Amino acid sequence: MATLELKQVRKNYGSLEVVHGVDLFINNGEFCVLVGPSGCGKSTLLRMIAGLEKITKGEILIDSKVVNTISAARRGLAMVFQSYALYPHMSVRQNLAFGLENLKMNVDEIDKRILEAARLLRMEEYLQRKPGQLSGGQKQRVAIGRAIVREPSIYLFDEPLSNLDAELRVATRVELKALHARLGNTMIYVTHDQVEAMTMADKIVVMNDGIIEQVGAPLELYNKPANKFVAGFIGSPKMNFINFDSLPNNIKEIAPSKSSTLGIRPEHLSIIDKNALLLNVETVEQLGSDSFLYGKTTGNQKISIKLNHQTEIQSNQDIKVGFNLEDAHWFDNDDRSINS
Amino acid sequence: MSAVLKFLSRTQGKNGPSFLDWVSYAYLFLGFLIIFLPVLWLLLNSIKSQFLLQKLDTNILPLDYDRVVRATVFGPDGKEIFIMKDMPDWVIYWNELRDEDKKNENNPNEFISQYEGKEYYALRTHLGLVSEHAKNLINEKNFPEWLIKYPSMFPDAKKEYDPQEYLINLDLEDTRLLSEFLGIKPYKPNGFTSQILISAINSETNKVEEYSVSRLNNNKDTVNARLITNPQGGIVKLPTEDIIVNKKLRPSWINYSDPLTNNVRGMSFDAVKCLSNSVFVTIVATIITVLINSMAAFALSKYKFNGQIIFFIIILATLMVPASVLIVGIFKMVSVTGLNGSLWGVIIPGAATPTGVFMLRQYMLTIPDELLEAARMDAASEWSIYWKIVFPLALPAIAVLGILSIIWRWNDLILPMIAVSTTKTAYTIQLCLLDFQGEYVAQEHYRLAMTVVSLIPTTLVFVFLQRYITSGIASTGIK
Repeated sequence: MATLELKQVRKNYGSLEVVHGVDLFINNGEFCVLVGPSGCGKSTLLRMIAGLEKITKGEILIDSKVVNTISAARRGLAMVFQSYALYPHMSVRQNLAFGLENLKMNVDEIDKRILEAARLLRMEEYLQRKPGQLSGGQKQRVAIGRAIVREPSIYLFDEPLSNLDAELRVATRVELKALHARLGNTMIYVTHDQVEAMTMADKIVVMNDGIIEQVGAPLELYNKPANKFVAGFIGSPKMNFINFDSLPNNIKEIAPSKSSTLGIRPEHLSIIDKNALLLNVETVEQLGSDSFLYGKTTGNQKISIKLNHQTEIQSNQDIKVGFNLEDAHWFDNDDRSINS
Repeated sequence: MSAVLKFLSRTQGKNGPSFLDWVSYAYLFLGFLIIFLPVLWLLLNSIKSQFLLQKLDTNILPLDYDRVVRATVFGPDGKEIFIMKDMPDWVIYWNELRDEDKKNENNPNEFISQYEGKEYYALRTHLGLVSEHAKNLINEKNFPEWLIKYPSMFPDAKKEYDPQEYLINLDLEDTRLLSEFLGIKPYKPNGFTSQILISAINSETNKVEEYSVSRLNNNKDTVNARLITNPQGGIVKLPTEDIIVNKKLRPSWINYSDPLTNNVRGMSFDAVKCLSNSVFVTIVATIITVLINSMAAFALSKYKFNGQIIFFIIILATLMVPASVLIVGIFKMVSVTGLNGSLWGVIIPGAATPTGVFMLRQYMLTIPDELLEAARMDAASEWSIYWKIVFPLALPAIAVLGILSIIWRWNDLILPMIAVSTTKTAYTIQLCLLDFQGEYVAQEHYRLAMTVVSLIPTTLVFVFLQRYITSGIASTGIK
């Protein structure tokens, strides 16, 4: 059980700064997801928390104690790696026991913890096998098990699901969430997949280019993105951005002052006359339950629309699409949200 | 076994072997022969007798010729040459027998008593019975003691004595015996030479007759031969291609048994000591080499520190210094540190090898850093990261280095020569083998046999360690 606090944490590789002064507070028992495009510094941040990377500037506090100079092993954290990093020459049992043996724990206690973890993750039957003989999902469990037996104060996950196939990823996502509910530990989870972030997190930290763009609960980020980057990153399909100048006059009139871009999510557009835009449909995708329309406005802006029903609309047809004003997001010249 | 057969008989062509299969198998077979034939040659030559090796016999099998004996007996009527056939092997090979075997297993006195006249005289000389019989005679007749020492006296000393007066009253047999012993003309020690028995057409009679020759050389057009039925008739030249040679298989196991039981004439060859020195040097040096090189490789591949590249370049640069340049330096180091004459002087100078460091570093670079980070998260010390994670995972490369080190150390001649050549008790097997070729003796038959013995450990090591090279790479645990 622990809290984690970052104060102005920076990381330089030579003269190149990749993390530019990050401030963050993570509460006890929170499931916090660091999300962002690749190269945004989220993995580096996680590795700094773990103690695997040196901190160039700033402070990291676990339970209000500065841990900058404390080695990875003594911070009481456990990490699940993207590649699982299981020791290939050791059996699953030895993989789980390795960390505990290094802590000079007695054999009975090690056995007890391994059995508990094995029961929790349903991996009793392959404890004697080597990692090479396990499937991707099984390796994933062993990697998580190796973290669990340590009974750490904070769990760190570095894109743990990215090597799994789509079906297994969804299943493991649910399991991880259940595991968090059961253990109640603080967990920090790095991913580039916003679906994972939305489904699992108590708190999402959206990062871009080494800075934090926004911190908040999943729906808060969806409903009230702080800026154009967060608005575009959260939600699938992506939010439509329409240049203010190419909007028809009827919409320009209702825009707040200083607006430069209108953001509207595909699922919030529908075939109504209210606040209507004229659209030439280029492609229609029918999924049965949903339909996707892709096209261009008269102002030559690309638009996608998600309809939650089947549609008769054909490609190359001209249609009118409208939205409710409360679903619209407006951004100023610096891409910040304008609170209307 | 079936897996091996399946592997060997795998073809590229779907319905039986294709042209490429034939070519590649032919090529493989040729390669196999190129490697295997010299080894086979060594093995088979190591069981050839000294006689065959000295005659530069080129047969692949230890085929010994039918032998006859050409005896030369000296007497008042001049020398007489004659051929003796059907001699038992132990008589023909008498000079190649070990001293205790000569007396223990055979009774020369009983044997020569079957013969008389010139054949008796020839055998008596050959089997070394002249001095024994002569001494008996001197004692029997109460002749003075100095007669026994007379044959080994210097020429000046001999002038002071006159043995002739003792010969006068003896009968013909005793005169011959004593004269042969004392070396008084017209008697001399009789000749007894092993010869090769061949058959060829006698150009005078047009019949196939037997000849004896002293050596066969297929590169010459003719061989010098002596007709068995008329040895006194002198030497005739026979065309090489027309002669018929009879051979039989006769492996000479004493090549092995003599040196292994320290029974080599004229020298001391302690096979157990030589081999145990080599085993000690090989095992200890290989352990040290593997440890030191893998630690250096671990640091160079998994840590980042200032001067890392410079260190790596310096280590690699030593590869470019030829070993022969280092001989004097190593000798000085060994003698300054007082390691000369000790096996540690052989072990330590070669313990760190740039080849090993380079090879292990390259292999360790393929071990993912995430494994080390996982171990660090698991509270492993840097030593246990090396010993429990990196070392076992680098085992395939370490096995290669181990095999190489064992072969290097076992076959090494230079370092033992530098460090222990003055201390016989510290000789390794390679130095011991060198002893068989002295300035005056060349006992190639022993050397070949002991070379085969010295090959056994390296062969075994390869057979048992090579599976580590392929296994172990099998799983990496990282996708």
